[in-house]
This record gives sequence, structure tokens and C-alpha cells, in this order.
Amino acid sequence: MGETNFRVVRIVLLAFLAVWLLFTLFPLYFMLVTSLKPVEEINRMVPTFWPESFRPGNYAGIFADPGSLKSLIDSLIVSFSNTALSLFLGTLAGYALARWMRGAVGENLAFFILSNRMFPPVAILIPMFFLFDATPWGTDSYISLILLYLVFNMPLATWLMMVFFRDTPRELEEAAYLDGYTPLRAFFKVTLPLVLPGMISVAMLCWIFAWNEYLFANLLTGSNVKTFPVHIPTFTLGSQTLWNLVMAFSLVAMIPPVTLFIILRRYMVRGLSLGVVKG
Amino acid sequence: MARLELQGICKGFDEPVLDRITLTVEEGQFFVLVGPSGIGKTTLLRCVAGLERLDAGRVLVDDRDITDLKPYHRNVAMTFESYALYPHLTVFENIASPLKARRTDPAEIKRRVGSVAELLRIDHLLDRRPHEVSGGQKQRTALGRTLVARPDVFLLDEPISHLDAKIRHELRRQFHQLEDLRRVATVYVTHDYAEALSLGDRIAVMGHGGLEQVGTARELFEQPATLFVARHLGQPSINEIACALEGDGDGLMARARGADLRVPVAPRHRQGLAAVNGTPVTLGIRPQHLRVLPPDTTPDGVPGEGGADAGLPVIEARVEIFEALGAIGVLLAEAGGVSLTALTSPDAHFEPGQPVRLGMETGAFHYFSRETGQNLHL
Repeated sequence: MGETNFRVVRIVLLAFLAVWLLFTLFPLYFMLVTSLKPVEEINRMVPTFWPESFRPGNYAGIFADPGSLKSLIDSLIVSFSNTALSLFLGTLAGYALARWMRGAVGENLAFFILSNRMFPPVAILIPMFFLFDATPWGTDSYISLILLYLVFNMPLATWLMMVFFRDTPRELEEAAYLDGYTPLRAFFKVTLPLVLPGMISVAMLCWIFAWNEYLFANLLTGSNVKTFPVHIPTFTLGSQTLWNLVMAFSLVAMIPPVTLFIILRRYMVRGLSLGVVKG
Repeated sequence: MARLELQGICKGFDEPVLDRITLTVEEGQFFVLVGPSGIGKTTLLRCVAGLERLDAGRVLVDDRDITDLKPYHRNVAMTFESYALYPHLTVFENIASPLKARRTDPAEIKRRVGSVAELLRIDHLLDRRPHEVSGGQKQRTALGRTLVARPDVFLLDEPISHLDAKIRHELRRQFHQLEDLRRVATVYVTHDYAEALSLGDRIAVMGHGGLEQVGTARELFEQPATLFVARHLGQPSINEIACALEGDGDGLMARARGADLRVPVAPRHRQGLAAVNGTPVTLGIRPQHLRVLPPDTTPDGVPGEGGADAGLPVIEARVEIFEALGAIGVLLAEAGGVSLTALTSPDAHFEPGQPVRLGMETGAFHYFSRETGQNLHL
């Protein structure tokens, strides 16, 4: 292929990327400018794309409601606890499926576990409510939400960890046995470090799901526990939605995931490509 | 210091792989297990290491039954064909792994890893990770990991098969010199027969399911128990000629089937072969037992008295191909419709089609049963 052809392809690809970026970044931009607008400016029929007057005080304003900070903390508690639990269970289950259940039974069991994530969540909304209502701690509690999110995160974690474990050579563990390590010590010494990048990717996926989840959180919790997606719609004045505060709070709520992603990005890319190429 | 004993080991997956294998590796012995790929050599090692559960049989170390012990309780070290180095650990940590498993004192670990690394000449690489060192260095690291453990039994699975020729030779020499390997029972697996002959105190040739023959390099080469052993040991490989025996007494001859080649049976073979007269046999002739004679020889034998070639039966042949391979020359000649390989000196010169006379050292020939492959005169 000639130099020119290569250039053309490059330009076309860059053009696609530019359009794609426009679509993804514009909402973010509009969130940002809206969050800085005064109330009078937010509901104009012809919206302003640059605030006529800046109200950075909106950001302080959202925290005038003590529920705002608490909702973020609640979200952190729920998402981190759920991620830890999903990862713990998913890693052990994935290892068991990868190493000890390679036959048809294991394949079907693994697929059954993954299929738990495939049905529409709404289908189990009501049953789940009654299920957790029957527990001693009730629906409106951290533990209910943490356990409930396992329904979605554990199958994902199990399946992905199984794939990662399958890609680590069994011979390494056998070598460790011959070195004198018991299976448990061999697992921690050899196998776990090799799937660590994969685990970090899985953790990110679980964490983001738990962080953003609205449907179940809204139904089950609300007073003792209130995660931030449930808190967002409470920024109202009478019948009017205060979009500037909603946007400001949403942007604040984006800080934790974006920070985490930036920190873990390196591992995440490695982890997501771990199962793709053998090597 | 230990002695390894295998008693009637059976192991199968979908079909039997190991069938009643019994052998003893004495303390200090370097035992080489050789055979074609996929024949179960690695499976046998894995059985000894405890990585595979036996279907039947027992494994004993110093008369201690370890058949049911887990691999991590056996004190058996093994190198894997793939090396199986831990990719996330440095060379030092890889070698130190068995000592760490035994919770050895860190200072002691440092000392012992250091001395093993020095022995294997990888002491300058201790901080590198496996993907940062060459194939030969990886192999040495894997070897270091087994040496440092001071196990009762060493199992080495194709340790130098994947390396290039120069490093192979160097490591081969090192295997000869490693005192640690010479003190315990070592089982070394390879598919390379030259490697087996060079390294093994005792060598077992493995065929389908079991051991074809166990012995020293010399025994295997000079008295192969089966055609399989004869066929796989020696380069260039042995001439195999399908024959029928005819005549009797001093006139006992092997006649090539469908060809016009008759080979007199040497006196030392006559008694054993008389019993199977008339049945089909395979005549095995090593290339070095066919001598290319000077042109002035007569069909009746070599003229003059004495000399190495005196009194040898002679056959007339025609040169097909001659290859000078440096240290040796390989002559492919046709005699009475049969293609024969003979060994010559490399500075000889032959033209295709040129007639040659071959002297046959019939006393060194082998006769195998066509049916069972057994050597008929052992």
C-alpha cells in the first residue's frame, strides 16, 4: 500500500474519532456549563451554550444538603463492599471452574452462572424486594444492597476470572507443588499474581455497576441508606427540577470512577486483553 | 541420597499409556529414558512426581512407599519441558522458591541460591525476570530451582531439547559434571538417542506402553533386544532387510524377500536361528558393519593375510548416493535389489552407478522375529 493510501485511511479514521468524540463529549460539556448557570438560565427554550452569568457557588450549594455528602459515602460503602465480595467469590469460583470442572458439567455450570446476568433486572425487582424485606436487616440497609448487587456482579466476576485462570498454565502450579507448596500456597504464590491484572479489570467493572445502579437502590433503599443515583432527583424546588444542581452533583459523582480509572487504566488494558491472545 | 523404584506402574487416559512399568534407579545413577514423542515418557515422570494418580503400581524411594503422597510431600524435583518458570518472579526468586516453600532462613537462601547460580553460571542474571533471559539461561534457572532443593530424586523432562546446538552441547557437558546430579537418583527424559547414549549410566528405551530394553549404552547398541531399539539407536540408522532363512548347518543363509541378496549367517548366530528356520525374519545391519572394500578384492574375500577385513563375506553393490558429512561418509548402495547404507571415511569419493564391494561383518548382524520384533539370538 502506498504512502498516500495509508494517509487517507488515517485521516478517515481520525474523522470518525472526531465525530465520535463530539457525541460523547458534548453531554459532558453541557453538564458542565449547566452546572455553572443560575436557576433563571437553565430552563430557557433556546438554551445558552455558554453561561451568561457564572454561578460556581452551585457546587457549594449542593453540599448545603447534608444528604448529598452522605449519599456519596453510602455509594462508596456499597460499591467497594460489593466489589470486594464479588471479587472474592468470583475468584474462588472461577478458579474452581477453570481447574477442577473442565468437563461438560463445569461448562454448563459456568454458563448457568453467567446466564444469571442475562435476564432483565426488572423481572426480579419485586421478588427481590420481598426477599430482602423478609431478612432481619430489611431492605433499607447496606447489607441488602451489597448482597443484591452480587446477583449481577458475581456471575460476571466468576466468568471472567474463570477465563483468566484458564489462560494461566497449569504447569506453573505443578512446579510450585514440586517446590513443596501446598495447593493453597501455590495459588497465592503463583496463580494469583498472574491473574492480578485481570482481577483489577473485573474489580473496575463490578465497581462501576454498583456505583451507578439506580433501579434497585431506588426501590429497596431511601432513608437509612441512600446512594447518590437515588439522591440526584431530590434537587428540586417545588415542581421545578434544579438542573444546575443536578448537573453539578452528577459531575462530582463522576470524580471517583474517573480517578479510579486513571489510576488503574494501565492494569485494566492488560487485563482486558489477557484472555484475547495466548502468549 | 536415594534409590528410586517403580513397581508395575500402570496409567492410562483414554487408552493405556504406561503398562506395568517396573524399573529401579540406583542411588547416584543417571538414568535416561528415551523414546519417540508421545510415548508416555513425560507421563511416567509425572507419575513419579505425584502429578498423576497411578491406575496401579507403586513408587518407592529408599523402600519408602510414596505412591499416595502428594507431590509437595515427596521431596522429588522436576524440570518441565516448558521450564515452567514463574514469570512474575526474578531468576533469584525462581531458584529460591523450593527453599521458601520450606521456610528456610533468608541468609541461608541467599547463600544456597548464590552457589547454585554460580555453578550454573547465571549468577549475573539473578535480578532479571524469565522473559528477559535467553532459552539456555531459562533452562539453567529451571535446573537451579531443582538443584537447590536437594531432593531425593531428580526428574528432568527434555531439559535441553529446545535449545540450539551450541548451548545443548554446553549443557550436556554440564550435566556430566554436576556433582549434585551424580549423587542422587536422576531420571532424564529425552527423545534424542545421541543424548541418551552420551549421558546415561543406564538407558531405558521406551516403546508403546512399556520399556523395550534397559541397559548401558553399549548393551543397547550391541545387543538390542528388539528391532525397535535397534532402529532408534545409532546414526545413520540400521539397515532393515526382510528375509527368510534357508539352507541348514554351515550353509544357513538369510535371503532377502523379493530381491537377489543372500547373506550367510555367522557361526555364532546359527544355533539360535536354526530353531526358527523357515519363518520370516528381519535382518538388521548397522552401517558401520558394512565395509567398503578396496577395488582389488575378489568376490571370495579379501586378498592377503590378516588385516581387519580378512575373511569377510563380500557382496557386489552399486553406488546410489554418497554423502560426505564431515566426520563420516555415508554411502547408499544397491545390492541385489536392496538398498544398503554403509559407513565410510569422509574423504572417499564415489560416483553414482560405480560398482563397489562391501565386506559384511556378519557376526555383528542382528536377526529379529518379524512377528514380535524380538532379537532372535540373544
